[in-house]
Order: sequence, then structure tokens, then C-alpha cells
Amino acid sequence: MHVYIYDDYLNKGKYNRIINRMEIRLTDLGLNGKIIRLGGIKNIKGTIQNEIRLGAKTIVAVGNNQTVNKIIGAIIDTDIYGDFQKKTLLGIIPIGGDNSIAESFGINNGEEACNILLARRVEKIDLGLVDKHYFLNQVSIQGLGTILEIDNYSLEIMAKGEVRIINLLSDKKREIKSNPHDGLLDVFIKTRGKDETYFSTKKIKISNPENKLIIDGVVEINTPVEVGITRDRVNIIVGKDRAFE
Amino acid sequence: MFNKDSKLEKFKDAETVIGSSIKVKGNFQGQGNIIIEGALEGSLKTDANLFIGEQAKVVANIESKDVIIAGEVRGNIKAKNYLAIGSTAKIFGDVQYGEISIERGAVINGQLLILSEEHRKNDKAKGEEKESQLEK
Repeated sequence: MHVYIYDDYLNKGKYNRIINRMEIRLTDLGLNGKIIRLGGIKNIKGTIQNEIRLGAKTIVAVGNNQTVNKIIGAIIDTDIYGDFQKKTLLGIIPIGGDNSIAESFGINNGEEACNILLARRVEKIDLGLVDKHYFLNQVSIQGLGTILEIDNYSLEIMAKGEVRIINLLSDKKREIKSNPHDGLLDVFIKTRGKDETYFSTKKIKISNPENKLIIDGVVEINTPVEVGITRDRVNIIVGKDRAFE
Repeated sequence: MFNKDSKLEKFKDAETVIGSSIKVKGNFQGQGNIIIEGALEGSLKTDANLFIGEQAKVVANIESKDVIIAGEVRGNIKAKNYLAIGSTAKIFGDVQYGEISIERGAVINGQLLILSEEHRKNDKAKGEEKESQLEK
């Protein structure tokens, strides 16, 4: 059974038309299922966990990056996670902006997403871990004054800029490629002009007394903190044009 | 003799790049190609190729397969295969190599020692053994 989780911002009238078209397409493809609207729900975690207990084969995030993160956050490290990993797939139908996660999985719009759900091409995806927060995309912090410690060496950043620790991202303009099932985090540091630094690692300790680490552009946490990776945590339905091998 | 652009061809897909505004301290070790444009103190080792850029300042012992040096290195260098030293390079330390090219203008303050054929074969065998272990 498919369970579609609609994010609360989709209640706005401007999304009615696009959602209607998506629902017609899903019905045409025989993919219709239960719809849950997060707008009217207080216990999001409990609701999603309950659907998995009831035997949902596919949980589909209808919305944007935050919707995907809410669903992953509701499942990882809970009693239901074992069942989820064995029996349930995560699908994504991107609607509106802020959908870089879907784009990285080769899902560029709602209609394409329906066809991708039908094709059921599945990839096991790693998740980054900071403190107790899991992330799919990346964490970032201001560059100047940041110290990164990796195994037997450390890096000090001497100029203004940004440090990004990436699990899943493909920035076509800057040609950053990152593979979310290689068990590695990609560290990308951009400072003045065209000065770029990049390398891969399994874990990294980040310190910056002046600035906070930002997880997936939303959650801020203080440093020092260790960023790691957990392998093959979520089974996600992806498109053939995904940004990684 | 020292055509930097053509030599850099093999670094197009470098796994590790350290930019000019980065200072690295410690034992830096990699398995892929490495480009250093910033500062490094400690030791530097890779099974693949290493490029030290013109602005780079490295205070470390270096071990790699092919090495191209355009910046400053204070420490001993071991290039198991080929070592190219550019006109802007400043090296303060002993240098071991399989093959070498040195461009006019380079400063080298240390001994130049060619690696024996036996030594190179041993290093090559070790490298292949490591690669096969990694493949497994």
C-alpha cells in the first residue's frame, strides 16, 4: 500500500491545480493510496510510524526537502526503523521550491515523480549523523576560524568562506559530485575567489567558537561536534537521471 | 621540459585538493591523486600522484608515485616513479626518485639520489599488493 504524506504548506490554494494533476496521474498509473495531510496532525512521528506498523509498502513524501527530512526524522532510531528498512520504501514527489534532494535523486517534477514511483528503481542511501541529528544533504559552517580534525591530521581555514560536509548533493554549476552510498562524506571548502578544497572522509570533528554548524540549512548546533556517516540507512525510489552512480 | 598543463592532466580527477587558504597539520595520507596549493606541516604520503603548487609551503617528508613540485618543500622527498621539479620550486631536503626532470631556476638544497631498480620493483610490488587487497 502507498501512503502519501502531504506537507502542510500544500494546503495553500496555489498548489491545488498541481496536486489535482498529480493525483489524477497516480490514479491512472494505479498508484493511488492513503493520503495523510501533515497540516492537521500534531503527532507527526506517531502517525508515520503507525502507517509503517499497518504495513505501508511505500511512504511517499509529497512536498520539499523539509518533508523528506521530517519523514526520515520520524523513523530513524525508533522502534519501527527495523521494519521500515526491511519492508518499506521511501518515495518523493517534489512540489514547489527547495527540492534539491529530489533533484539529486533524478526527480525533477511531480509528473515525472509519478512515473518514477511506478518504475520502483531503489537505491540504499547513507545518512550523515551529527550529534543525534541525521541528515541527507549536507551540513555547513562559516569557513574562517574553523578547524577540521580527521584521523591523524587537522585543517585550519585561514580565509572567509564556507565549509560544506556533503552526503548527497550534485551542484552542476560547481561540479561537486557526491555519492550517497559510498560510505563517505565529501568535504568541500570554498574560500576567496576560485580557491577550493575538497576531500572525502568517514568522520570529521568540526570546531568553530564563533559560528554554529547548520544541518540541511535548518537546524543549528554548537561546535565542537563530530560528523559521521551511517551506511545504507534508507531505501529510496530514485530516477534514472540521478546525480550519482 | 616542464609543461605544467600537460603534467596536470593526470590530476584532473584528483581525489584531494588542499586550497591556498588552508593550513594542514599532521600525517596526511591518501590513496588517490593529491594537489596541495596551501600549507602543510607533518608528513605527506599517497599511493598515487602528488602536485605541489606554486604558492604551496610544505614542511614535511613526502612519499608518492609521481611528484610534480612548483612550490616550496622543506623535507625529504621520495618519488617512487617520476619527479618533475619546476622553475619556481624550492626544495630543502634530500630527494629520491626513479626518473627526474629539473627546470632551470629551481632551487635544490640537498642530495639527489636515484632509487635502485630493485627498490623500485619492491615498491611497485607493494603497491600492486595493496591495490589487489583493496579490490578484494
